[in-house]
Amino acid sequence: MERDLEQLNSALNSIKTLRSNVRRVFESVSNGLRADHGDEGKENKYILELQELLTTVNNDLRDVENSVANLTPPPGAFSLGSTTSLSQETTHERQALYGQLVNSYKWTDKIHEYSALAGNILSTNSFNKTYKTFSTTKRRKTQTSNHNVPSDVIENLITSINKLFPDVTITTNRPFVPNPVIQASLGRVLKASIAFKGLMIEWVVVKAHAESNDLWTESRYKVFKKVTENCHAAMCHFHSPMMPDLAVRSFMHWFHSYNILFSAPCKRCGNHLHNNLPPTWRDLRTLEPYHEECK
Amino acid sequence: MGVTILTQFPTENRTGPHTIDVLSKRIMALGALQQGQFLVDCETYTSVPQLGPQRTVHVLHNSEQPATVFSLLETGTKTIPLATDGLFDLLMMKMSSFYTSKKQTKAESKGPRYEIGDFCVKLGTVTVSSNFKGILVEVEYRPCVVPAMCWDLLKEFLQGFLGLSGPTNPPAYLQNRMQEIYSPIDTIHQYLEHFTIFRKSPGIGMRA
Amino acid sequence: MSAPGTAMDSLSAALKCNIIPNQEYLLQGSVLDQYVEVLLHRLRGLCDNVDSGPESFHDHELCFTLRAGSGSGAPIVLPLRVRRALDVADAPFQLRYVGQQELGDKNRPTVVRSSIDMACSSTIVEFLTELGCRLDFEYIARGYMFRKGRMKITVSKIFKVAGNKPVETVEPISQSYLVELSVLAPSGQDAIGEDMRIFAEQLRPLVQLEKIDYKRLGSMM
Repeated sequence: MERDLEQLNSALNSIKTLRSNVRRVFESVSNGLRADHGDEGKENKYILELQELLTTVNNDLRDVENSVANLTPPPGAFSLGSTTSLSQETTHERQALYGQLVNSYKWTDKIHEYSALAGNILSTNSFNKTYKTFSTTKRRKTQTSNHNVPSDVIENLITSINKLFPDVTITTNRPFVPNPVIQASLGRVLKASIAFKGLMIEWVVVKAHAESNDLWTESRYKVFKKVTENCHAAMCHFHSPMMPDLAVRSFMHWFHSYNILFSAPCKRCGNHLHNNLPPTWRDLRTLEPYHEECK
Repeated sequence: MGVTILTQFPTENRTGPHTIDVLSKRIMALGALQQGQFLVDCETYTSVPQLGPQRTVHVLHNSEQPATVFSLLETGTKTIPLATDGLFDLLMMKMSSFYTSKKQTKAESKGPRYEIGDFCVKLGTVTVSSNFKGILVEVEYRPCVVPAMCWDLLKEFLQGFLGLSGPTNPPAYLQNRMQEIYSPIDTIHQYLEHFTIFRKSPGIGMRA
Repeated sequence: MSAPGTAMDSLSAALKCNIIPNQEYLLQGSVLDQYVEVLLHRLRGLCDNVDSGPESFHDHELCFTLRAGSGSGAPIVLPLRVRRALDVADAPFQLRYVGQQELGDKNRPTVVRSSIDMACSSTIVEFLTELGCRLDFEYIARGYMFRKGRMKITVSKIFKVAGNKPVETVEPISQSYLVELSVLAPSGQDAIGEDMRIFAEQLRPLVQLEKIDYKRLGSMM
């Protein structure tokens, strides 16, 4: 890569020299005989000068040819298969299409490259303190994307969660077809609005049963505001792009432990209240209740 | 509307205002902020003899639900609750030839109202026909609607705030309703229970 | 922060300012089944809720009386009505006291009767029964409601309710619809009666809205 750049640089430089020397030839030709050639044998002097200039040009040209020969040839024009015919489009408003297509192709190509790099870096520096390991021996389902999945896959996931816990009732509505928003009510304790992006959990708001289902206003109760915060932390913790359905399932399993939000004392201090709040934190692995200050 | 526990706080030879003062200092020290005043009142009507067996209608108002009139009808065998608009008082006036009230029985509990976290605490001075009778402390835990789920938590709060005078068992009225969804009428029931006891008890003698 | 006043204080203040709507101005009439469509059409044109169309209702009404025989003379009677919507599941019940109607002199355009109207919880039926009230009769009304300013116009079919028969099998009591024009207002606002008379004029001859004297009706039967 580095070497390529150097060669390209020197090639460009030699082209520059060539151009400037060619310019000098033309300059001299256009000026013709000048006063500084003197009176005697001025034609000969002029011809000699011209010959000298032409030799320099010749040398420069050779340099250019050499450096160009050293360059690795570019991979050639992008050929996007039959879409090339788009460039032949005659209607005015569609003429720009091909250009945009090529641009977006380049973009996705770049994203591919960057994400591969990012993936490499991130996999060596795991920020995830999870106990689950991605065993390489287990054959992983090839999942090309998890934010753009058919709606019946999500539907199946939601129904399976619904069956998993008897005291969690789930109602769904879909403002946008592939991205459902579910209302999960946990017994008579609380309810959560969970917004999905494909198979990933995008947003969680926890509220009292009597409050609205609106996704954007937080609960008026301090305890549910805290639980919402903790849900966000857990949502990030359980997030796993490789196994999105497992992530959702583990999240719901953890979420289910709030069914004793008001009745369970803190595991550490043994009290119900701290700062007038019940234990709002649940350990991510053991699901045991803790006060925020006691965890 | 959350689960509410109503409990009597002994005055122990202190005057009513002094007791309220002690309690409000305590709750402020815990970090509560005063949010206005509250008032719960109760008027009792009894049926005239011509209507047959005697029945009693208790009509209560709670400043927490200012547009509602709560009524509890006691037939001797059962108690029927009713929640209506404010105009029910007007209807009770129309019923004056069937149900009459004894003026000496008008009971009320009023005083400061505090908010602390998700709790709402009310310190009420109880008077029956203007005679001071005692102190009622109301604590509401607003996020929770099932008494059984948050009783232990409320008990801890009450004991932290009232010390040994805090209740050790749920109020009698709630004891067989612990698993049901709590509603404002349940608070009214608890107030009526206490008012009935206060009415029977001899007056402490001090005028509030 | 001042202490909240008692509910009775605010009620008596409201009574003093005369802002409680406790008078009902009423005109009644009926229309035969085959002409009801024409009437509805006409009302749609005359009333306020043109674009949303008429509001339909389907109510069950129970009429109670509380009576006590006093030692001398006629017993005191307090009529009370309970209405509940059959088509809206979680609507509150409605409790209503309707007083004796005053026909007044001939020049008064409408019947005026005192009325106390309030929403209440579903325990009201049991409450009234245990209070000593007697259920006199009940019926089901199904029809449409229109608004014109503060006037309310209902066009409803009345059905018999017999025993515990399901609501779907009720029979209509006649081949006509009951038409009522009413306003609930604080007392002393007699000008509204004139508005009602003018509106009733516009419905003639389809339906004749009049002051109905129940006492006379009773003696005719």
